[in-house]
Amino acid sequence: MSDTRERDIIHAFVGLSNELVDGYDIVDLLTDWTENCARLLDVAAAGLLVADGRGVLHVVAASSERTHYLEVFQLQRDQGPCLDCFHAGTAVSVPDLQAEAHRWPEFARVAESVGFTSVHAVPMRLRDTVLGTFGLFGTTPGALNDEDLALAQALVHVASVALVNERSASDRQLVNAQLQHALTSRVVLEQAKGVLAAVGHLEMEDSFTVLRRYSRDHGHRLTDVAERVVKRELPGQELIDYARTASILF
Amino acid sequence: MRVTLGAAVAGAEPGLQAANALCGACVDLLGLDGAAISMIHDGFSHGTFGASSESSRRVDEFQFTFGEGPCFDAAAGRQAVMAPDLDSPSETRWPAFAGAVLGDGIRAVFAMPIMLTSVCVGALDLFRAQPGPLTAERLAGGLMAGNLAAIPLLDLIASTKSDPVDDEDPWLQLAELDRLEVYQATGMLISQLDVDAAEALVRLRAHAIATNQTASQVARSIVDRRLVLERDDIDERRSR
Repeated sequence: MSDTRERDIIHAFVGLSNELVDGYDIVDLLTDWTENCARLLDVAAAGLLVADGRGVLHVVAASSERTHYLEVFQLQRDQGPCLDCFHAGTAVSVPDLQAEAHRWPEFARVAESVGFTSVHAVPMRLRDTVLGTFGLFGTTPGALNDEDLALAQALVHVASVALVNERSASDRQLVNAQLQHALTSRVVLEQAKGVLAAVGHLEMEDSFTVLRRYSRDHGHRLTDVAERVVKRELPGQELIDYARTASILF
Repeated sequence: MRVTLGAAVAGAEPGLQAANALCGACVDLLGLDGAAISMIHDGFSHGTFGASSESSRRVDEFQFTFGEGPCFDAAAGRQAVMAPDLDSPSETRWPAFAGAVLGDGIRAVFAMPIMLTSVCVGALDLFRAQPGPLTAERLAGGLMAGNLAAIPLLDLIASTKSDPVDDEDPWLQLAELDRLEVYQATGMLISQLDVDAAEALVRLRAHAIATNQTASQVARSIVDRRLVLERDDIDERRSR
């Protein structure tokens, strides 16, 4: 393992645990985490899907907010390696998606249309319960080696602690409430992206960048800012103006 | 349980009848003595809509009479609220409501949130004469029914008369609304129509029904800027 990579890995773990100490925003934190994972594991994109109380998978965080990528993640609610991984509770590796396209025809078609050629899905567990699945998407065919898979599994475990307080693991109701909180945060975030897209005539991924930068630069939680934008308490134009002044947008 | 709840909503006329049917199915499936749907959201009329019986409607309406009760707490916290024993000395949350409900022979109340995108617009209230917690399985069923209650509520709000999708599985309708592009599109409508998130979803769905498309198809058109809904869209439809 190279020194740089080792440093990056330590950074990913320590970064996450530092954040956990004080009040953190779960979607912002997990977005950072998916970005770190994608870089460390050298994949084009990574996305975390979490199940709601009915067992339906939802996108909570992704390393890229590109709408086409998010759609590939969302599609796995119905079919795909991530759904299979969630049901089986074990990792699913698809080093060459083309060769296994018959297993998930619709998923394979959409994934290939955005350039993904390999997928690895790792389960997120809390004791006996599978909370969700972490998908790693590559643009070149190939398997993750054992070391990388073990690293992915370890990173997913750390993320599960951020998502659900381990002390509450035995209380199913509390676990569901914590997961539901993260899922609702994501819904609010998507709506806030829509508001900014309409106000500033932006692409959705740029809306996300603006929301995140505005929150960080003002010391607010991402979800709180998104919520205020959606409730029209914070004018979308204010964020757009800030983004232009701060040269986030041109 | 999922199938029975879905069938109750699908088998009834949209709106109030479907809400009543869902409440009735909850009573049968979850071992209850009553169930009712409260609607509480600014901009829409507040009150009890569906109910499993007249007595359940009366119990539910106590919340609006006294301005307190689990449905308000469920909406504010966007999560289920449990009151396994209203007669317990440690239960002090809603004294006026609890007094009235106990007088009608109900000891336990559970409120399941009803979400329209990120907004909780009401609660499915479950009533039982016997005190005690809901089992995990019944709680899951209650939450599921709370999710499903969004469909008759949407029909009520939009006063949808002839429903072209009434023979469609309500779970599919719900899944159609629960998508990234629908959330993004409702966000765009919040800005374009100057309405709140729940009203934005009502408009999106109304357009989908009027043009015989799915909510997801309409949402994609909005996000791709191929469709702009007019501000007075719904007023015209309501006055017809």
